[in-house]
Amino acid sequence: MKRTYLGEFEEVVLLIVAVLNNQAYGLAITEELEKQTGRSVSLSAVHAALQRLEEKGFVNSRMGGATQERGGRRKRFFTVSVAGNRALQEIQEVRMHLWGMIPKTS
Amino acid sequence: MNTSVQPQPPKWADQLLEWFCAPQLLEEIQGDLYERYYKQVQEKGKPAADKAYIYCVLSFIRPFTLKRNPPPYPSPNFTDMFRNYLTIAFRNMKRNKVFSFIHVAGLSVGLACCMLIFLYTKDEVSFDRFHEKKNHIFRIGVNNRNNEGEVHKIGSTNMIVGPSFKEEIPEIETYVRMSSGMYIVKANNAFFNQEIVWVDPDFFSVFSFPLVEGNPANVLSHINSVVITEEMAYNYFGTTKVLGKTIELEMRDQFELFTISGVAKNTPQNSSIQFSLVFPYQYLAQKFPDPEWLGFYINTFIVLHPQADYRKVIPKLDQVYLSKASDEIKRAQQQGYKGSIHFMLQPLLEIHLDTEYGDIRNGLQNDSDPIYSYILSGIAIFILLMACINFINLTTAHSLKRSKEIGIRKVVGGNRQQLIYQFLSESFWYSFIAFVLAILLVNLAMPLFNELANKRLSFTYLFDFSLVAAYIGLFLLTSLIAGFYPAFVLSGFKPVQTLYKRYSFNGKNFLTRTLVVVQFSLAAFLIMITIVVYSQFDFLTNKDLGYNDERLVRVHLGRGDHRELIDLFKNELAKEASIERVATKDGGQNFTLGKVNDKEIYFAFSRIDENFLPTLQIPLVKGRNFSKDFPGDGENSIMVNESFVKEAGWKDPIGKTVFNVNGNEKNMTVIGVVKDYHFLSLKEKIQPQLFRTGSGELWIKVKPDQIPYALQTIEKIYRKLVPFRPYEYAFMDEVNRKNYEAEEKWKQIITAAAILSIFVSCIGLFGLTMLSTERRTKEIGIRKVFGASSGQIATLLSTQFLKMVLLSFILAIPAAWYISHSWLENFAYQIDVSWWIFTLAGILVLLIALFTVSFQAIKASLIDPAKSLRNE
Repeated sequence: MKRTYLGEFEEVVLLIVAVLNNQAYGLAITEELEKQTGRSVSLSAVHAALQRLEEKGFVNSRMGGATQERGGRRKRFFTVSVAGNRALQEIQEVRMHLWGMIPKTS
Repeated sequence: MNTSVQPQPPKWADQLLEWFCAPQLLEEIQGDLYERYYKQVQEKGKPAADKAYIYCVLSFIRPFTLKRNPPPYPSPNFTDMFRNYLTIAFRNMKRNKVFSFIHVAGLSVGLACCMLIFLYTKDEVSFDRFHEKKNHIFRIGVNNRNNEGEVHKIGSTNMIVGPSFKEEIPEIETYVRMSSGMYIVKANNAFFNQEIVWVDPDFFSVFSFPLVEGNPANVLSHINSVVITEEMAYNYFGTTKVLGKTIELEMRDQFELFTISGVAKNTPQNSSIQFSLVFPYQYLAQKFPDPEWLGFYINTFIVLHPQADYRKVIPKLDQVYLSKASDEIKRAQQQGYKGSIHFMLQPLLEIHLDTEYGDIRNGLQNDSDPIYSYILSGIAIFILLMACINFINLTTAHSLKRSKEIGIRKVVGGNRQQLIYQFLSESFWYSFIAFVLAILLVNLAMPLFNELANKRLSFTYLFDFSLVAAYIGLFLLTSLIAGFYPAFVLSGFKPVQTLYKRYSFNGKNFLTRTLVVVQFSLAAFLIMITIVVYSQFDFLTNKDLGYNDERLVRVHLGRGDHRELIDLFKNELAKEASIERVATKDGGQNFTLGKVNDKEIYFAFSRIDENFLPTLQIPLVKGRNFSKDFPGDGENSIMVNESFVKEAGWKDPIGKTVFNVNGNEKNMTVIGVVKDYHFLSLKEKIQPQLFRTGSGELWIKVKPDQIPYALQTIEKIYRKLVPFRPYEYAFMDEVNRKNYEAEEKWKQIITAAAILSIFVSCIGLFGLTMLSTERRTKEIGIRKVFGASSGQIATLLSTQFLKMVLLSFILAIPAAWYISHSWLENFAYQIDVSWWIFTLAGILVLLIALFTVSFQAIKASLIDPAKSLRNE
């Protein structure tokens, strides 16, 4: 089967989902992402990325309980799926491999 | 924290989000947005948070959030299936080239006809709509009751009506009188015979005819000014920069000078008012003043105040007339006038399609009878309907072959709705191809159609918004009508039956047969009408008119009596060997009233010379012709025709008298009786006719085989004798044929319709025979094995269809008989609708159908039975 491609932004979002460990939902991911990478990210872009990741099967989601500070709306929590985990690891390995192949020139 | 004191984000942004966002995503997205909003309110304050909120909502308008109906079945989705339908349709089309051809050819012909008719109708209803004041312009008309109590509706008025009404009735803003005539125009040292229009100075401000040069308000204010169209300017001067140049106009043998004060754009084709040279009416009014109310010869248009109701203005017209014309009415009544007049207002927009006040003179042209639109649309719809019938019949009949496909689709889970979609999409596909072809056909047929419909339409007219919308509507409607029935029948097939090949059309045949009969009835009907129109036309053009119009050239000499000029002409022409005879007669047909023993007779009145009867080979029944030997002939002798004698009730007409012939208030004595001849078209009965001596136009009989040479000679003499007048001549047989131009058009239209309809119905029949023979291949094989001859088999296959054609032919007879009778009633002289017309039409239809059917039948009967039975 064709390997499912993981975009750079998606990869970062997926990593943040892993970092937040069971506390990952739209706004939290956005804020964490801004904090960690220093880039300004729109909420809708993160939602779109999460949507795509779920379609590709890299994340699972469940609905949380209703909370007061969200006007009574529930949160959708995301967790990294097995496939997501493997995808992250593969990317990691490829990068390490490539880093190792850079000749020492200095 | 209490929710009631919590700040709320802008409501409309929230509603917007709820509106566009997919329901399954709404909660989490809105939750995130709220959460952030509350944080930001505390950090940055409400306005900044509101702004951020709105921005954020807007940024969520992206594909993944937008509301979409989740598909009920994950796969295959609708577009995939649709693609599949198209693929199947396309394969079917390729496999059955004959059927595809029949579908597409029929539909495209039908669609093309309808498109052309749309174009025609659109043009008809768009007439005169470009005038800005169109809703406030009216033409004054007259309901004229004559002495006998008959009411004539006349669209004309006279010189005094416009100014008098304007003076007395406050609702009338202004009036424009309009009159036209043929005049000799001298421009740039050349002479032209030209139709010109005389109008009041407000013409260009009342009607929206754009001027290229000149001010609409005052372009005609000077009495010697003239406005010329760009086209005429180019014809006369070779340029459109003609402001200030002069044009001369012949008035009573003198040329008067007019200065060009304006250049107008050419009149649009959908305008009732057509002009090329416009002169000020003031000039005519001064030269030939006319204070009379009881004569009707020009158009008067009035503009009402926008608030005025024209129905309330109409009675006021009569009031003004009765008070202003009272003296004149009294005088007329003393002379025996018993009639009365009522004035009417006719809206400008009604002029084009009006058949009541149909006075199309004085600058008005292009009137048309709405019946043309109805008949043309009827025919176009006929043909499209026939094409749809073909589609329905063939698809239904052909579906037996496709029953397996339908069965399998059902077995693997296709539901009825999907099958309906499939067949509808097939018919859309065919219609689409036909539609594209139809556009090409319209383009090709446009010149021919313009000729037939007497229009100047162009292909670019197609790109009109409402027309494009109408065409797309037509396309959708056609594909629905064509595809509806097959889709519903085929989708109802039971898979078990179709897959076991036990399915056959039992009830369906009835519908197919009915449709074929309807189709052929229409075709047979059109063929019958065509034959009637053809025979009547043949009768009109070949009937003996009572005189000989061969090699007869009529040369126009302008108005008035040209006795000396004609004598000069006669002398010159007498020297020429190519000329047989020369006569003279006044131009046109004049009718007048005369008194015979206190009885009034309405008759045609002509001035001729002694050569007229021999030149036209009209025999004399009694008495003598005019002659130079009787010098008194010019003063008080007349000849009459047989109808006149009959009308007057004379036993011995010679020596009887007629009083007041064309206003000379004298008793005239009859010296001869002329045999009746058709001086009018054959649409009218021969009227009483009276002849006096006089002259007008030259009627020249040319010797046979010398026509071109004779024409040259006449022109040479003409140029010598009347150098300032453009030379015009006409052959009398051509003039006579022009009387029947309308009939000629009808002949062509009906022929085209008949050919197209027979074509469409025959390709349908062809397809049906092909299917039925294919279905019966095995039966044919078995019959052959048992010894049936090819002839027997061909007969077997054809009889069923020929029976249908025969039936449709019988059904068509009453309708055709009725229609041709009512059409022929328009003619005073007509053919009898005899049995042979229907027989001929019947034989024709049968032969065409037989030819269509037999092609397949013979082919099937010749197949080697070994081949057709081998596969069992």
